[in-house]
Amino acid sequence: MSAESPKSAQVVRMSLMYRVQHLLLMVTLLVLALTGFTLMYHENWLGRTLIRLEGGVLFRGFIHRAAAVLLMAQLVYHAFYMLFSREGKREMRDVLLRRQDFDDFLQAIRYNLGLAGEYPRFGKYGYKEKFQYWGATSGVFLISVTGVILWVETFSMKFLPKFVLDLTLIIHGYQGLLLFVILLFWHVYNEHLHPSVFPMNMAWLTGKVEVEWLRQEHPLEYEKLKQEGII
Amino acid sequence: MKGRVICAVIAALLPGIGSLGAVPSAEARVSLEKCTLCHGKPEFRKILVDGKIRDLFVTADTLKGSVHEKKTCVDCHFDISEIPHRERPRRIACTHCHYKGNAEGAPQSDAYLAYFDSVHGKAIAKGNSKAPLCQDCHGNHNILKAKNPEAAVARTKVAETCGRCHIEIYAQYKTSIHGVALGKGIVEAPSCTGCHGEHKIYGHEDPKSTVYATHVADQCSKCHASVSVMGKFGIETEQVATYKESFHGVASQFGSRTVANCASCHGTHDIRPAEDPLSSVNPKNVPKTCGKCHPGANPNFAVGKMHIDAKKKEAGIVYYVASFFKYLTIGTMLALIAHIFLDMYGRTRRLRGEK
Repeated sequence: MSAESPKSAQVVRMSLMYRVQHLLLMVTLLVLALTGFTLMYHENWLGRTLIRLEGGVLFRGFIHRAAAVLLMAQLVYHAFYMLFSREGKREMRDVLLRRQDFDDFLQAIRYNLGLAGEYPRFGKYGYKEKFQYWGATSGVFLISVTGVILWVETFSMKFLPKFVLDLTLIIHGYQGLLLFVILLFWHVYNEHLHPSVFPMNMAWLTGKVEVEWLRQEHPLEYEKLKQEGII
Repeated sequence: MKGRVICAVIAALLPGIGSLGAVPSAEARVSLEKCTLCHGKPEFRKILVDGKIRDLFVTADTLKGSVHEKKTCVDCHFDISEIPHRERPRRIACTHCHYKGNAEGAPQSDAYLAYFDSVHGKAIAKGNSKAPLCQDCHGNHNILKAKNPEAAVARTKVAETCGRCHIEIYAQYKTSIHGVALGKGIVEAPSCTGCHGEHKIYGHEDPKSTVYATHVADQCSKCHASVSVMGKFGIETEQVATYKESFHGVASQFGSRTVANCASCHGTHDIRPAEDPLSSVNPKNVPKTCGKCHPGANPNFAVGKMHIDAKKKEAGIVYYVASFFKYLTIGTMLALIAHIFLDMYGRTRRLRGEK
């Protein structure tokens, strides 16, 4: 595409590989949330109904663990992909947390409150995307650890005192809730309600975003792509 | 269909009922005096084939004090119509009088219907002559009202009565916490019927049973969740609630029959306090008890409190961590919402500024 491309010109933001990973992550997290929260909230009617729909309390556990294995496999695969593949390494540089992100965050708040004159200019990923990415990744890692401890309960009980398992169960549940809340709110706003993308940012399906959108929301990336002659 | 089966069973149990029309008139009835001609002799007894001695000594005082004291021999032994009787009298069929709508004035209840459906009634119907009929539990000549502490089915006596057949279980129960308590005269302590029911006793593998795997927790909670009962003995009442919140409890509520219920860990007839070295939940025995389902359970399984409620302060660190996460989650939600609204506000300003 040339620099003269019309306003509706599009540019790739999510490669096929990332779209597949994103979709798989979405499905596994939803399955885990559905099967997990039904156990956490088994005493209310919705939990009870869902447990029955999930084939009873034992089959629910089976689905939950099957999805968890898939999720953990994705996590490992994703880590290798980000660290060792060419595309992954480039993305890793873009998504790595820097001091700048925290400064951007504070500046955005100051601007939103009317205390700063200028809104921060983001690269490919602004602080919103980065916080969500690292929050979700570390969350998935930690919830996997507590999940495995609970899965091999006979083994865990041989070494850990009972209260540690009680804690693990509490933490596992709340980690899930926290992860769910963050992903839900963040997505609802950033990918749906945000005026620039309403009703939905299509990038997770098509992989592409409009160049004009990029110029407004991620100006540094826009300039970088322009310099590289991609747009 | 079911009713017909029950009728058939009743008919089978009441061989005398067919000859009801032929009941002799009052004058022709055999009087007590005639029976005691033979049965009134103290040495009147019979040596059975197995060497046991059956005492056949009966006097006018035999029924005295019992609920049937106004009755006479042939009211129950109605198959005897001539003296001396040549055949051994049949087993007594209490349903001859005790049925709903009887003209005899006998207590009317459907207890016998429940009995026919029970494990004992079914065994009788299958032809097991050792299975108990009414009189085997309630007594024969000495039947007293169940509320009478001397009755064979009185709360303090019923275990002994059941124990006449269920000998080993009775021995276990007698030394269990419930048996000992009842022995001390603590009437709140359950006897056999407290858990198994009275006439509606079913095998523990029958889903109708009060002690069926998924019913055990509810059955125990009848007393153990009651503050008014447990408070008297300083026993905690949260054990049932905390069980229901645990993995075991949730699985059990949703119908798992293999998951642990109260009895899986605490025992059934041999329940003892945890301090008792013979108790299945004594720390020394915990590895073995847990090991029934969790192979390789070691002494570490006994470390820490089993029944905890994360919503109560007594749970210690678990409570505080749970509270921390609760407020962290609420805080995160509020922060996210605040950020969203702030950002939308800022974004609108940014758009206005650009245009």
